[in-house]
Formats: sequence, structure tokens, C-alpha cells
Amino acid sequence: MLLFRGPHWDQGLSTDELQRTMDNIMAWFEGLNERGKIKGAQPLSAQGRTISGTNGRFVVDGPFTETKEAVGGYLVLQADSFEDAVEVARTNPALRYGVSVEVRPILAECPIFARHPEIVRRAGERAASVRDPWATMAA
Amino acid sequence: MNATSTKSDYLLLFRGNVWDRGLSPAQIQKVVSDWMAWFEGLKAEGKCLGGHPLEERGKVVSGKQRTVADGPFAESKEAIGGYFYLTVADEDEAIEIAKRCPGLEYGSVVEVRPVADVCSIRQRVDEYSTQQLADATA
Amino acid sequence: MSQSTEPTAAAAPGDISRLTDHLFRHEAGKLISVLTGIFGINRLQLAEDVVQESLIRALRTWPYTGVPKNPAAWLTQTAKNLALDLIRREKLFHDKEPQIIALMEQWPSESAEHESPMFENEIRDGRLRLMFACCHPALSAEDQTALALRTLCAFSPAEIGKAFLTTEAAIAKRLTRAKQKIRDEHIPFEIPAGDELSRRLDGVLQTLYLLFNEGYKASSGDHLIREELCLEAIQLASLLAEHPAGDRPRTHALAALMLFNAARLPGRIDREGNILRLKEQDRSTWNQAMIARGMQRLTLSAAGTELTPYHLQAGIAACHCVAIDYQATEWEKILSLYDQLLELDSSPIIALNRAVAVANVHGAQAGVDAVHSIERGTQLNSYYLLYAVLGELETQLHHFQAAIANFRKALELTELTSEQLFLSKRLAETERSSLQNVA
Repeated sequence: MLLFRGPHWDQGLSTDELQRTMDNIMAWFEGLNERGKIKGAQPLSAQGRTISGTNGRFVVDGPFTETKEAVGGYLVLQADSFEDAVEVARTNPALRYGVSVEVRPILAECPIFARHPEIVRRAGERAASVRDPWATMAA
Repeated sequence: MNATSTKSDYLLLFRGNVWDRGLSPAQIQKVVSDWMAWFEGLKAEGKCLGGHPLEERGKVVSGKQRTVADGPFAESKEAIGGYFYLTVADEDEAIEIAKRCPGLEYGSVVEVRPVADVCSIRQRVDEYSTQQLADATA
Repeated sequence: MSQSTEPTAAAAPGDISRLTDHLFRHEAGKLISVLTGIFGINRLQLAEDVVQESLIRALRTWPYTGVPKNPAAWLTQTAKNLALDLIRREKLFHDKEPQIIALMEQWPSESAEHESPMFENEIRDGRLRLMFACCHPALSAEDQTALALRTLCAFSPAEIGKAFLTTEAAIAKRLTRAKQKIRDEHIPFEIPAGDELSRRLDGVLQTLYLLFNEGYKASSGDHLIREELCLEAIQLASLLAEHPAGDRPRTHALAALMLFNAARLPGRIDREGNILRLKEQDRSTWNQAMIARGMQRLTLSAAGTELTPYHLQAGIAACHCVAIDYQATEWEKILSLYDQLLELDSSPIIALNRAVAVANVHGAQAGVDAVHSIERGTQLNSYYLLYAVLGELETQLHHFQAAIANFRKALELTELTSEQLFLSKRLAETERSSLQNVA
């Protein structure tokens, strides 16, 4: 997952520059999309709320961190490896204007069990027969 | 995002990767069960389209030089640990859902962010382009 | 450009129920002992940390992906990967590193074709070695029980604090001290052999007995944790009994005693949380399956000529368990067992319990006499049950003033709410009876 931070990077740019950059950014997204690399992507509104405390009793306006650190959007990327994802991130056109891109691997489903379901099932059965005595006792 | 319905989309960002450190095995097991039930329930109701945990490692790419640095994720109260993608009636509903996060009890924080229809910057550019076009053809 | 994220695969039905009761705690307990076997007893904290991190990993992913088909194997695999990673990255073991890594690679891997019986043995042996290490005589009794609860049963310091009515910080300090002692005294991580085994086994049994009693007696803290302590003690005793090192009549006797007492736990408290006397308890709440298992253990304990206090206490508990009601209790048999017990262990507490049996066989006055003939030390004089028993017996004899005085004294000596309530009730009843008699 790519997390884009620093949503107000556009300040101080002339509208021509802005237009060009936006075109570049669109092209960047479209390029990735055509290669089937985007599983999902959205910009996030600058508003929002932050919730904390037991049962969520504290509700505060605004995103979690200060504006320049706030997450402005995300992109779920299909990449061959973590390193590839980082390389993709490095090509984002908004970087030169102060946007930073956080690259985080998404935790996959347990690969062990996806790959060897029948082995795991057998192991599960054996484990059941060697069960701790007290577990049956507690019934 | 649904253009035709009256629903809105929100991202729940789960902040903090230290809240679980001091928990006992019994507490961890309870949070696992509760969180699963919460996630499954929301998906069954069609309110959550998906979610993922994020690995603790990561990189941050920034600057004109496109430098790559290690993410400052160790022991952080701000690090994003995972997310849910919600599609619900309005922000209040998203907030009510967020309040049920089982991690809140132990110090986890949930950020609720509306998913924007259109990137606000893009919107400004479009408006400017439209204005320019209007001026040119006036 | 906008696409919604794909929904993740739905978890299979009944997923959450595959999280069996205390799965995390039991797996943590097992894993700590196996890792300690590999890292060495001096690195106990490291083993605990790796296991804690494995549980946290489960917390991070299972809510999204569902409970894995074999949760225990997942936790084991994760712990193994974390440990290997840590060992390589932090170069903790210097020259021993290759051996340790080799040991760890022998763990069942994800591509293992068969469940490894060797690994199961390793787990069992590891737990026993840890048991002997935790119950080493160089550690104080308090430290032994705290350490056993933490490392063998994976209770958190907070939970242990609740059981012993002390703070989490105090327990944490105790644990640190115990682990330091292990390093300083070079306490070995092994199952002793020969003569030493016999001696050390007594120490282990003693610790398990104390552990069980912490859970059993009403003077501990949180009631749910108390019950778990009893069940954990039983599990450890059973584990010990089933291993050649611990397979002795006295181990079976201790296990039997624990089972007989734990079986009767549900009947001891009424719905409002008040303590019930044996004669008032609803025996249909007693766990018959546990009693049956206790009988099996009792039979095993009868092999050979060994007769220990555990045997006799188990025998006494068995008498209560088989009686269909209070009246059917064979008090003569119980008294005879107490007589034998007193010969082996002249503790005043045992003498007090014997006095109750005397009263049931020979009448209340004989019981009072038996109590008065116990040699009083400071321990007994400040024991609230001494006065509670006298109060009961004097009430039966209609010596109401004596009874009231004794109940008052008992009330002064106990701090537990449940006991205070019970004693206040008895006091009030006795006061009423005394007024009725005068009138």
C-alpha cells in the first residue's frame, strides 16, 4: 500500500505548473492501471475525525496528524516485491513538490495454509488426539 | 465509489502499533475474537468492502532526489497498522462503527477519513481549465 | 481512476469458535518452554518476548484473514521465524549460533509431510525441564509459584497479581529477581536423575500444591483466575505424572487430591457469592467426570508401598466425593485418615481439620476438646478458622456466649469479604438463637 502524505503540496505553484503536474500524475496513475498494477486507489478528503478511548468516547475533528503529515490518499499496488513497490513509489511525479510516499507491505493471508491445506488438516487431527487432559476435563 | 446511491465511502485507519505490547495472552485472544466478529459482521452487512493489516516494516520515499528511507514505524503511536474500507450512509455512521474497534480499549486510535469524490487539487485544475475555456470562448 | 478495493476472502464459518478457550495462553506456555530449551534457561526473558511477539502477530492478521486451520501450528511457525530472525539479526548467541539455528530448523516446517512425534516429546520434556527449573529450592516459595505461573502457564504479571492480591509491579519485580537468581545460582535447565530426582520431585509437587491452593482457597483474588489456577495446577501435575521422571505414586496422589477438590469448586459458592458449608452444598454441581479421573489417579497412587500426606489428603477428599449427601459421609474413615496424616505431618491446621472429624464421629464436645488439645502456636492463634470451628461447635452445644465470642474473634481475623459475610451471618444466627433460648 502506498500512502501519500502532504496534501497541500500545490501551494505556491503557478497554475500552468499545476496543470502540467496534474497531467503527469494522471498519466502516472493511468500507466500503472494499464499494466494491471492498481488494485484500488482513492484520494482522501482533508476532513475527517479521530476516535480514541474506551468505546471510542473521544471524537476529535480532523485527521490524526498535522496537515503536512496527514494522509492525503492511498494506492493499493500489485507489485512483484517490496523493492519493486518502492521503485514504483519513486516514480510518482508529486515527489518533487514535497509529497512523501509511505510504502507498506500488506500482510498476505497465511501462505502456509493456503499452500498446504491437506498437510495442515492432518496435523490438526493428530494434535487433537494428543490433547491436554485438562481441556477435556473442563467440559 | 457508488455514483448512484446515497452512500458515502470512508477509510478507517488504525493508528498505533504499541497498544498491544502489554497485553496478556488472554487479552490478545479476546481482541482477536472481537475484531474478527466486528470485521465479519461489517462485511456481511455490506458496510465494509475490505480491509488489510499492514506490515510493520516500510519505506518512505520523498524529495526531489526521491530518496528512500526506512519508515519510522518502530514503537509508534501514529503508525498505520491497517485499514477498513467502509461504504455507509454518512460520516456519523462511520464514526459509530469506528467506536466499536476492540483495540480502542487498549490505546489504539481510529482515524475516520471520507474518501474524496475527486482529488481536490484535480478539482481546482478542472475548475481553472473550465474557466479558461469559458474565457477563451466568451 | 477510482476503483473500490477488493473485498478480502470471507472467513470460514465457526472460525472464531476454533479459538478454543485459553488457546493463546496454553500455546504461549508450551512455546516458552520449548524456546527456553533452545535459548537456555538464562534467556528466559528472550523466550517470553518471542512468544509475546508471536501472539501480537496473530492479533495483527487473524482478524482480517480468519483463524488459520491449525492455529497452534501457525503460532509455532511464527515463533520459530521470529526467533531465527532475532538470532541472526542481533547475533545474540555468538559462537553457539550455528547449533541453535540447527536445533530450530529441526522444528516442523511448513512443508513437513507428517506431524512430528519427536516435536511433541520435545514440548513435553521442555515443559518438565522448565517445571524443575522454576521449582528449584534456591528460589523462595513465592518466587517459585510466580515464576511457574508466568513461564509454564503464561499468566500475565497483572493476572498473577490479581491471584495473589498484590500489584502487577510487585509481581514483575519478583519475576525479575527470580530470573536473576536462576542466572546467579546457575540453576540448570534439566530433569534431574537418580536421588536428586526424588528430592527435587518433592519440591515440584510442593509448588504445584501451593499453586493449586492459591486457586482453591477463598482468600485469593479474582474468582475466575482462581479457578484457572486450579485447572493449570492439575494439568501440570498430570503432565508430570505421565512422564517417567514424575511417574511416582505421590504424583498420582497429588493429582487425585487436586481433582477431588477442583470437582467440588462449583458447589462452594451460592449464586450470590456466599460461601456454603459442606452440609449446605448442592452436590449435583460437583463435576463427576473430574471425580472419576481422581479415582483413576487414586488407584495409580496405590501402587507400591509409598504413603505420603498427599495420599491421605486424597483419601479424605475421596470420602467426601463419594458420599451422596452430608449424612452419608463416612466420618470414621475420614478420622482414621486424619490420624495417619497427623503422624506424618503434625501441622496444627491438620489437627484442626481432624477435630472437625472428631466432632462428627464423637459429638461436638469431643470436637471442642480436640481443638483445645492442639498445641497453640502463633500461627494457629491468628487463624480465623480456629475460632470459626469453635463457634460452630459451641453453637451445637448451645454454649451461645462462647460461640458468639468465637465468631467475633474469627471476624476480626479475616479480611475477605466473602468470609466476613459468611461469619457475620453465622454470628447473627447465633445471636438470634441465644435470645430465643433465654426467652
